[in-house]
Amino acid sequence: MGDRVLAIARKETRQLLRDPVYLGLAFVVPLMLLILLGYQLSLDVKGLLVAVVDRDRSVWSRQYVDGFVNSEYFRLVARLDSEAQAREWIRSGRARVVLDIPPDFGRRLSANETVAVGVTVDGSFPSRGQIALGYVEAVSTLYNQQLLRAWLVEHGWRGGQVLPVQMEMSVWYNPTLESKNFIVPGMLVIVMMIFPPLLSALLIVRERESGTILNLYASPATRWDILAGKALPYVAVSFLDFLVIFAVSVWLFQLRFVGSAWLLSAAALLYSICTIGLGLVISALTRTQLAAMLATFLVAVAPAFTFSGIFAPVASQDAVGRFVAHLIPATYFMDVVRGAYLKGGGAAPYAPSLAALAGYAVVVYAIAWLALRKRVG
Amino acid sequence: MRRRLAALIRKEFSQLFRDVPMLLILGWAFTGAVYTSGHGIATELYQYPVVVLDLSQSPASRELVSRFRAPYFKLVEQAWSDREVVARLDRGEASLAVVIPPDFERRVQQGTARFQVISDGSQSMTATLAGAHIASLAHGYSVERLAGAGGLGARRIPHVDVRPRVEYNPNLVETWFSSLLEVFNQATMIGMLLAAAAMVREREHGTVEHLLVSPLRPIELFAAKLVPVVTLVPLAVMGSVLAIVQGAFQTPIRGSLALFYVVTVVYVFAMASLGLGIAVVARTLGQAMMMLLLILYPMTLLSGALTPPESQGVFMRSAGLLSPVRHYVDFGYQVLFKGNGLAYVWQDVAGILVLGVALFLISVRRFARLVR
Repeated sequence: MGDRVLAIARKETRQLLRDPVYLGLAFVVPLMLLILLGYQLSLDVKGLLVAVVDRDRSVWSRQYVDGFVNSEYFRLVARLDSEAQAREWIRSGRARVVLDIPPDFGRRLSANETVAVGVTVDGSFPSRGQIALGYVEAVSTLYNQQLLRAWLVEHGWRGGQVLPVQMEMSVWYNPTLESKNFIVPGMLVIVMMIFPPLLSALLIVRERESGTILNLYASPATRWDILAGKALPYVAVSFLDFLVIFAVSVWLFQLRFVGSAWLLSAAALLYSICTIGLGLVISALTRTQLAAMLATFLVAVAPAFTFSGIFAPVASQDAVGRFVAHLIPATYFMDVVRGAYLKGGGAAPYAPSLAALAGYAVVVYAIAWLALRKRVG
Repeated sequence: MRRRLAALIRKEFSQLFRDVPMLLILGWAFTGAVYTSGHGIATELYQYPVVVLDLSQSPASRELVSRFRAPYFKLVEQAWSDREVVARLDRGEASLAVVIPPDFERRVQQGTARFQVISDGSQSMTATLAGAHIASLAHGYSVERLAGAGGLGARRIPHVDVRPRVEYNPNLVETWFSSLLEVFNQATMIGMLLAAAAMVREREHGTVEHLLVSPLRPIELFAAKLVPVVTLVPLAVMGSVLAIVQGAFQTPIRGSLALFYVVTVVYVFAMASLGLGIAVVARTLGQAMMMLLLILYPMTLLSGALTPPESQGVFMRSAGLLSPVRHYVDFGYQVLFKGNGLAYVWQDVAGILVLGVALFLISVRRFARLVR
């Protein structure tokens, strides 16, 4: 039986090596994606376009607006005259945020009163809208702290702590809060869910399209032999892909890596077995290469991107989202990857995730075995 | 000549309709996939998991904890020791820990209270937002204490109160946005892939020679490959927008659906032309797919859906303008969510049209050169 597996694996390897363009692209495309994300493309929301309707035009309002001008999160694009104009700027997308400062802004603040500033945000991109509101809140809080300090001085403050309740924030795992530190490891998970399954999804269906599958059916090879023989070389390719990306992320991008490379490699191997198996299931169930490719995008790639928790914690998702997240292997691998890059610690916290990946592999190959019935027509 | 073309188009359609599993997959792409993607969340702060270690157990500390409320925060657990807090953060079950010292109540009275927040920075975007929220939350709590303390009547403290108003999506429902984005993504990917596959298939099976010796000109051959894609995909897009985005998720659609449909046709034409261009270079479907991804992912990342164009450097911003995806995403949200007409989106429409025609002509020329 081992001989047959090896024979099939050898044939697949030879076929893979015969098309260097294809194989080369399987390494080049992921790397290009990583370099784009690591160097050029910033996912941090900065320089949001903000316009101001300043009806007060006092020292107070100017100071308040300066807080926005000096923040890297905003770029002041215009001073407008009316609310109608402001609406128009939001509508046409020339501004994402408009501040509406009332005429009595300075007068009320100097009289120690509360004053409301209208903030209009473009909600057509909701997460961006929420980020914009959060930043407005942050800039306003800074201004409020200035106001409070001045007020306290006036009321005989003798130094010491300004606020009666003060927060001390410490950031763990990624102290500089750089998006690259989590985007690149996150992309490792996604990329390994894109290319390996797409490669293996064509394996069986291609033979079916060209008719060579009949040779396999007629051979003494069992379904296990076929699956194992086809999976082996591709798991190797996927694991190589992992090693290349890992090397690039640590040496080229100089990413923080505090965990165990062995643990990460073990998880990557398990994950590769899962992803290749997923591709094989799709391949066994479809009749054309086109259908297999589309199905891979829908069943493997898209859920990994949406639910694995690359941008926000899995725990934030609603019940449906969390359910899907726990059905896909990317979530478990993401846990190990993020831990290895940023958190460190031993293998124990990641044992459940590793077990889940192993269980997933068993289930996927069982389904592939069921789907790959030897039949003609 | 017209009859030749019609015959070829008919052949393309019947080839497409014969592959039943693929039709089912296409159906899922525009229904189930769009529906599930509406449940994912992107980068916003929503139900952010918080673990609390309250060593004070006093009215003041409970008051502070109660301010970590929905929809931004979600208390996953009350911890009783440092070890527990660390374990929750390490395992990713909580992304934020709030630690309140035992003497909190007394020190609030004295005006010298502190509490500690530990933030998991591994998802830096949400962590930054959470930090901003807590800072303003702590400030608000302090101001209330100051105003309330000290005898009769509230003291007056100067304070700027932010009154947010969100246009077009008042409650910032992510589902409206993400379901529509998924429809756009499907149109992009499927438009390219169907056209590319229609061409590569002929090469893989060797039937491209039959077509080459037929009296059809390359441009006719290309048109025949494009017609089914440009007919079917925009219809699927419309169906998905009406049934899932508007129907299932109750997203308010404000703009002209006719305008949206017409531009979607042009857009699918552009992406399908790009797909054909790839098919001319590729020899197998596998190769075509890899090349497609090489182009597709940078275009999607630069589309402005994931990250605002104004946050990018000049180079990336200009590169984005060369991508039809960027124009289409901008166009789609402007028309459907904001109800904007041509006066607002003509630049996007012009961009899609120019890029589409250019891609078509380049692809046809490459193919014609290959034939000779």
